[in-house]
Amino acid sequence: MKMPLQLRTASLGLVFAALLVFLYIKNPAYDATAYFESIALLRQIKQLDARWELDALKSKIGVNTSYDPLVNPLSELDRLREQVNRLGIQQLQGTAADWNRSFGAYQDITEHKTSLIEGFKTHNAVLRNSLAFLPTAASDVQDAIYHLAHQEQGGKREALEHIAAQVDSVLLSSLVFSQADTEGKVSEIITELDELAAVSGSLPPAIVSGLEIFMAHVRTLIDEKKRVNGLLSGITSVPVAAHIDDLEYLLSQEQQQAAARTLQYRQYLLFLSAILAGLLLYVASRLVRSYAVINRVNQQLQTANDSLEQRVQERTLELQQAQGKLVDSARQAGMAEIATNVLHNVGNVLNSVNISAELTMRQVRTSKVQGLARAMQMLNQHATDLGDFITHDDKGKLLPGYLNQLAEALQTEQQSILDELGQLSRSVDHIKEIVSTQQAYAGAANLVEPLQIGSLIEDALRMNNSALDRHQVTVVKQFSEVPVLLLDKHRLLLILINLISNAKNAMADLAEHARTLTLSVTMVDTDTLQIGVQDDGEGIEPDNLTRIFTHGFSTRKDGHGFGLHSCAVAAMEMGGSLKAHSDGPGKGALFTLALPCQTEESTL
Amino acid sequence: MPMRPLSFSLALLLALPCPLDASPRNEPIKPISLTRTADPARTELGSRLFHDVRLSANNRVACVSCHDLTHGGADSRAHSLGISGKPTAVNTPTVFNAALNFRQFWNGRADSLEAQIDAVIENPDEMGSTWPDVVAKVAQDASYKTGFTEAYPDGVTQANIRNAIATFERTLLTPNSPFDRYLLGDTDAISADEKAGYLKFKQYGCVACHQGVNIGGNMYQKFGVMGDYFKQRGNPTDADLGRFLVTRDEEDRHVFKVPSLRNVALTAPYFHDASAKTLEDAVDVMFRYQLGRAASPEDKGSIIRFLKTLTGVQETSLQ
Repeated sequence: MKMPLQLRTASLGLVFAALLVFLYIKNPAYDATAYFESIALLRQIKQLDARWELDALKSKIGVNTSYDPLVNPLSELDRLREQVNRLGIQQLQGTAADWNRSFGAYQDITEHKTSLIEGFKTHNAVLRNSLAFLPTAASDVQDAIYHLAHQEQGGKREALEHIAAQVDSVLLSSLVFSQADTEGKVSEIITELDELAAVSGSLPPAIVSGLEIFMAHVRTLIDEKKRVNGLLSGITSVPVAAHIDDLEYLLSQEQQQAAARTLQYRQYLLFLSAILAGLLLYVASRLVRSYAVINRVNQQLQTANDSLEQRVQERTLELQQAQGKLVDSARQAGMAEIATNVLHNVGNVLNSVNISAELTMRQVRTSKVQGLARAMQMLNQHATDLGDFITHDDKGKLLPGYLNQLAEALQTEQQSILDELGQLSRSVDHIKEIVSTQQAYAGAANLVEPLQIGSLIEDALRMNNSALDRHQVTVVKQFSEVPVLLLDKHRLLLILINLISNAKNAMADLAEHARTLTLSVTMVDTDTLQIGVQDDGEGIEPDNLTRIFTHGFSTRKDGHGFGLHSCAVAAMEMGGSLKAHSDGPGKGALFTLALPCQTEESTL
Repeated sequence: MPMRPLSFSLALLLALPCPLDASPRNEPIKPISLTRTADPARTELGSRLFHDVRLSANNRVACVSCHDLTHGGADSRAHSLGISGKPTAVNTPTVFNAALNFRQFWNGRADSLEAQIDAVIENPDEMGSTWPDVVAKVAQDASYKTGFTEAYPDGVTQANIRNAIATFERTLLTPNSPFDRYLLGDTDAISADEKAGYLKFKQYGCVACHQGVNIGGNMYQKFGVMGDYFKQRGNPTDADLGRFLVTRDEEDRHVFKVPSLRNVALTAPYFHDASAKTLEDAVDVMFRYQLGRAASPEDKGSIIRFLKTLTGVQETSLQ
């Protein structure tokens, strides 16, 4: 698997989300309300238009007495038309040309219809007036004729009455024509009018003017009737409804297309949803599978855990055993350390023992005792004449003096040997003490005894005496007043011997100036004893300041790296501390031993 | 138009207690309804513009110069004088109730008051101006500028100036004429003689054209239906052609918009050519050329008395 499952799913989801957004943007925002509004407006226009037509017919038959109903819809129709056009253009952006063509056609026929209605109003007014006036005009003429006829007699009167009857006939024909116009009626009326016109020449002017008015109105009636009928049939045949249907058709087509598009997009969405559902199912199955894997792994882990616990127990046991072994070996190592310690300290003291023994041996070897033996041999040779020999012999005379001198020398010698042997026996005692101290260590006993710190330091110096003399080390003592303290004498002695030995060694390679070892003793805070051992030897590298106390560290070729370590350990065992300080190589070193202590009195 | 519920219920409330005998008569002539409302700010602007000579090219002629609101909404000249003192082609029709006419001008060439304003302002013999000039002059006037900014979102524009004037003109109605009151049910508003005149008006057929709310103004009619008026009058002019000038249709030769008869007593002289100096002359011409019949002087007198009941009351009180 190159890509993790989540990443693949996420990228797939992202692709589908992008697809959704794309579909959303792509889907044109078709406003169905605009369509329904347009349809409603078109219906309204249709209705208004029908009512307009109806009002025209009402005006024709005189139900409408004013033309306001034919005028008022105009502004409303204009308004609706504009509204529909706006909505139509908004909806039919793709097929604007179709819409503009259809709408233009509709507008043209509406204008045409408007002009027809204008004409209708004009001619209908005249027609209705003439029609209404015709009976009056006829009776006006007839009244005049009858008035004249009363004054006439015979044929003239009959002729006049005939004219009156003709007027009646024309009136009747005209009224019939006004109700149902036929071409036959028209020609009939025109014939009658022509006859009337023919006879009018012989009539008096009073009648002629009335007759002319009557005939003018009959002609007007005929003309206007034709016109009005033509206009009305024109009005009713203007295909306004058909054009509105055209517009409706365009709109509904667009609406259907939009619906189809919507359906298409819905299908896309369905498809997309199906894919997304599939993706979800896939993810779910993956999840279930992951759960299975997790369960399996869990079980394996459980098993592993169990076995691990067992193994841990085993290992713990092993460890415990190993620890036991380690403890044993540690103990052995400790014993070895102790042994090394003992041997080191004993070695130090043995040095003194060795020196004392050698000194004693040298003295004994060069003893004046042989002089005594020779004197005694002389005496024995002269045993017989001893008195004489002593008094007279030259040699014998010297003998008593010699013996006196010898006795003095021997006395001195003896004293010196005794001293040296005393030293020897003290060293041996020290060795015994070291050994017994180590035995005390083994028993972890802490033997404190009251002691004078000054004499203890003297002891330590003495034990290093010969070496210090050999190296011509000047010892400076800066002891302040210190009371008798309760301390572990042997450990302290060990530390001091080691520190002095260490200082001496540090100054071994010093050639150019005198070697000075400064020892100081002070009390700090009445319960801490501080002993300083300072040399002006080779000093300590700063890096080594802490390392010098570790076991096995030494800067000397023949060093064991044990001395300072044992000192530090001992100081710690005594509850104190041992610190080294040096300003650097060649600037000497100061070892400061700080020990907690109690005065003898305070323990009482 | 959605009706506001409040005004609707108010109308119901007002209608209910009306006595039955006061209900409007079903007549060919309708009274002027009193329910029109106009934006007061725009009306005020329109009124100022109507009286403003700056609408004309040489700042000498205002709308009101010819449409004198104190003389029935027209002047008493046969032909009004334009910016250069040249008489106009036709007699000035009244501006009163012009809003009720279905078209404007004698030959109905303007579909609306706005279109009528355009034609007058740009007619070289009348105001002789151009819209950019008019807009610039109006915009220079600080008080107009603030007034327009308050009344219209886009301030001083050609359309807004036109709309303001038209809005003002729509308020120039003259309701409450005695005859309107009669129509609304006040039987005593006109005398018995005047009622008889109305009857004659209807019987003779005047009402065939002069009907509706504006007593005319809602149709075209040929001048000289029953006789050749222009031949009789002589001196034919272009203006005599009427709607023919607009449509070039032979049918429309000498066809004019039927003028309103409201305030007819105040708007002499009469007809597009101002040929009738008095109402009597006008009625005579109408009888002869439009109705094609004779009438007794009594009947004509009666009709003229009726016509005088059509003088209404100007709604807006203007100086």
